[in-house]
Amino acid sequence: MSERRPLGVHAVLAVSSLLMVAPFAWQIVTSLKTLSSATAVPPTFLPEGRWDNYAKVFDLLPFGEQFLNTVVMSAGRVAGQVLFCSMAAYAFARLRFPGRNLLFGLFLSVLMVPPQLFVIPQYQIMSTLGWLNSLQAIIVPGLFSAFGVFLLRQFFLALPREIEEAARLDGAGPWRIYWSIMLPLARPGLVALAVLTLLWAWNDLFWPLVVNTDPERMTLSAGLAALQGQYQTDYPVLMAGSLIASLPVIAVFVFLQRQFIQGIAHTGTKG
Amino acid sequence: MWKSARSAAALLCAALLASACGGGEQAGAGATAQGKVTLSYGVWDATQQAVMRDLAAEFTKSHPNITVDVQLTPWVDYWTKMKAAVSGGAAPDVFWMNGPNFQLYASNGVIAPIGERIDTSVYPKALVDLYTYDGKLYGLPKDMDTVGVWYNKTLFDAAKVDYPADDWTWADFRRAAAALTDPDKGVYAVGAQLTSFQEYQYNTIYQAGGYVISPDGKQSGYADPKTIEGLRFWTDLIAAKQSPDLKTMTDTAPLQLFEAGKLAMYWGGSWNVAEFGTNDYTKDKVDVAPLPKGEKQATIIHGVANVMSAKTEHPAEAWEFVKFLGSGQAAGLLGKKGPIPAYNGTQQDWVRAHPEWKLQTFLDSVAYAVPYPVSKNTAAWQEAELTHLTKAWTGETPVERAAADLAAGMNDLLAEE
Amino acid sequence: MSDGGGPARGSRAEALWGYAFIAPTGLGLAIFYLWPVLQTAYFSFTEWGPFGGHTWTGLANYTRLLGDPEVGRAVLNTLTYTALGLLGIPVAIVFAALLNRPGLRGVSLYRTAFFLPVVTMPVAVAMLWRWLYNGDYGLINQVLAVVGIDGPNWIADPATALYALVVVGIWSSVGYNLIIFLAGMQAIPKELYEAASMDGAGRVRQFFRITLPMVSPTAFFVSIVSVIGSLQLFDLVFVMTGSGKAARANPAYTRLQTVVQLFYERAFVTNDRGYAAAVVIALLVLIAVLTVLQFRLQRRWVHYV
Repeated sequence: MSERRPLGVHAVLAVSSLLMVAPFAWQIVTSLKTLSSATAVPPTFLPEGRWDNYAKVFDLLPFGEQFLNTVVMSAGRVAGQVLFCSMAAYAFARLRFPGRNLLFGLFLSVLMVPPQLFVIPQYQIMSTLGWLNSLQAIIVPGLFSAFGVFLLRQFFLALPREIEEAARLDGAGPWRIYWSIMLPLARPGLVALAVLTLLWAWNDLFWPLVVNTDPERMTLSAGLAALQGQYQTDYPVLMAGSLIASLPVIAVFVFLQRQFIQGIAHTGTKG
Repeated sequence: MWKSARSAAALLCAALLASACGGGEQAGAGATAQGKVTLSYGVWDATQQAVMRDLAAEFTKSHPNITVDVQLTPWVDYWTKMKAAVSGGAAPDVFWMNGPNFQLYASNGVIAPIGERIDTSVYPKALVDLYTYDGKLYGLPKDMDTVGVWYNKTLFDAAKVDYPADDWTWADFRRAAAALTDPDKGVYAVGAQLTSFQEYQYNTIYQAGGYVISPDGKQSGYADPKTIEGLRFWTDLIAAKQSPDLKTMTDTAPLQLFEAGKLAMYWGGSWNVAEFGTNDYTKDKVDVAPLPKGEKQATIIHGVANVMSAKTEHPAEAWEFVKFLGSGQAAGLLGKKGPIPAYNGTQQDWVRAHPEWKLQTFLDSVAYAVPYPVSKNTAAWQEAELTHLTKAWTGETPVERAAADLAAGMNDLLAEE
Repeated sequence: MSDGGGPARGSRAEALWGYAFIAPTGLGLAIFYLWPVLQTAYFSFTEWGPFGGHTWTGLANYTRLLGDPEVGRAVLNTLTYTALGLLGIPVAIVFAALLNRPGLRGVSLYRTAFFLPVVTMPVAVAMLWRWLYNGDYGLINQVLAVVGIDGPNWIADPATALYALVVVGIWSSVGYNLIIFLAGMQAIPKELYEAASMDGAGRVRQFFRITLPMVSPTAFFVSIVSVIGSLQLFDLVFVMTGSGKAARANPAYTRLQTVVQLFYERAFVTNDRGYAAAVVIALLVLIAVLTVLQFRLQRRWVHYV
């Protein structure tokens, strides 16, 4: 057993990590330059403290409102999915009722369909309800997830039945078993779903872009796309905007790194 | 839980309804108690957002029961989102309209004609005609714009080229372009922008004696040799490397190249005053000259109008607001802070706002200005313009062939209108 | 019908509870997902006016689809992007194997670096790379210029645009796949490696003889997800080509346009929603065919223990 020191491994990993991170560094540097110095040849590598690029972002778009919209949308979708999906997942994993397998199959069939197929009719529904340009429009369809049901059902299936049985003998009903026993036990699964939903909601573009066209009702990703529409190729401003828009989720990731990683690892385990 | 089940049931009904009537009407969120009304006002120009808010506030002073919510949608998304909003019944009560889109909106009945008899002689006739469809006027002209050559004095001085004269010609322009180009510094004379026909191709087409669309709106002008001459004006500049190629302009748009000192000239509108006046680089380096004269002198004139949604919940209030925006009072405010007002007699304020620039150029050029070419479905053939001329701009197809293909495609589209 | 043990008890009440528990998600999925699929299928046989309202036109959209060069191009671009995007899988496996080396220090630091692009908003990623790829002032060409290479306009040049896009796709997804592979590798029993070391197999041979076969089921899962995701490519292209008119004036537009972008344009720019519905039904078929194909092919390369 010859254990060489893994210098070569470190070299490869360090260089590639640098390649992964370098674009972000350049993004920060550019966001602090004027257009003239950003397009200077040869380039300069030092930031210049041009904070007015950030001011321009706020000038053009109601970024404050868009930030709030995105927070509310993400929080709403996370809360809704964690609650509704865990309820359905528990039922599919533990309760017996006629048509259970058929219904579960129907749920799963939603996973097989590319989401663009839902968009035009969903838009019609929103329009009929008078919900275009509203928070409901970007939240409500995202409260339901076949993926979440599928993911959490795996968790519930893996839990031991003994505790449940004991509770049942004590006279606890399904709701109490679900709420006070199963949910706490399935915590890692709930966190995984919450983290993934947060990530997808925050970064979602297509649906918010389509359904909320009033800038004050847009989410950050749609607002950022609109920023490019206005400033075309004014890269320092665009870099400032893209940094502000993506920073919140990056910050959450830094704090909840373990949960993010585990959440994603869970999606890979075959069901 | 029951609550959510019930609202889910309500949603189900809504879904069924949606499929039954395919997106019908819906209640807007404007009216509240006590006759207080909030109007939504859709605009696309960020640089005019502030002055639009000022105008809205001014309007509320004289109409205390009406407040106006100015909604900015950036230009590139404006028409996409407007169509979506109209089909969803969520169009703003009052919004900006432009020439290319006007007839589509009017012919589909999604904007309301003006019922009241008003004096239109206070606006330039070209603009009143632009917003008249089937003999009915649909919008009051808000502003007007013409096109000129913005130039970077610093780069002209460095290349020892005289500033453009008021009567300069295509030949003068080409001489200057050759002298201004400096490959070592990455400086080009001008950017032959493909995407803005209003500031680029349309002008040279009419200067060359060509036309874009026949007066009856049934025939494309792109097969005309003179029209092709107007296009070749630009492709020649690219071929001579006096303009960046299309790939470079895709990566960095001509406006940014000009604002970074990489272009000596920028064909732009009178509306660029706001942009160039606030940009740190351009504000003390640029001035403006008339477009050079080809076989003829020509510049494209266009103007934005305020129109009302046909589905507005508050037609009376919306009309009050449109009338106010079309008044001399509003024009006076606009001229000090925004584009050239359309209301005759208020334009001098606009010129005086920037004494450092020869803004009179834009007003003088109205004398020989050509109206922006439009038809009922302008957007359809404008897409064809881009699709076909991209090939000429890259040099993949000779400009004659691209123009001939475009003419054929455009004629098909016009026949469908 | 049940897969659980235990005697049936209070089964009527239990069934009612079961329906109550699935009701919120069930109704939500029915209204916002299942019913819309049927509606989209119906819309694909209709024609829409510029401001709404539709009429039945039978198969007209589908015949138009088959003869539309734009659809052909979009499908070809999307398939090419999808195929090349699969190259991200071996990349992720190699890096996961490096990180999985026992006793390696700094794993969490490296992992964070790889994961950063995954949590970054795709719109921001696209803007960032559009700037890096800039032909005259982008960082990549500036660096290349130092070694005397005159780099192209990466995303405005038809020759390079699609490949440049694939690089961004891999850059932003490699961290995600890496995490999944790492989890897969950590589940491989240590004894297998110990036995192989006894037989004198080096790290490289261990990788090919043990790691690779053992993670092949994971690789299969990742390839399914990756193909489905790539076929729906939108965000990156939507931002990198520039929006609206600017996109059509991009000389590389014909090499960048994807099926979903075409769908977006027809559904929400030109409001040609019937045709858009037909486009997206075609996408459904494409995804179904490729997924079935992958399941067919898995027997040849996936090892189940």
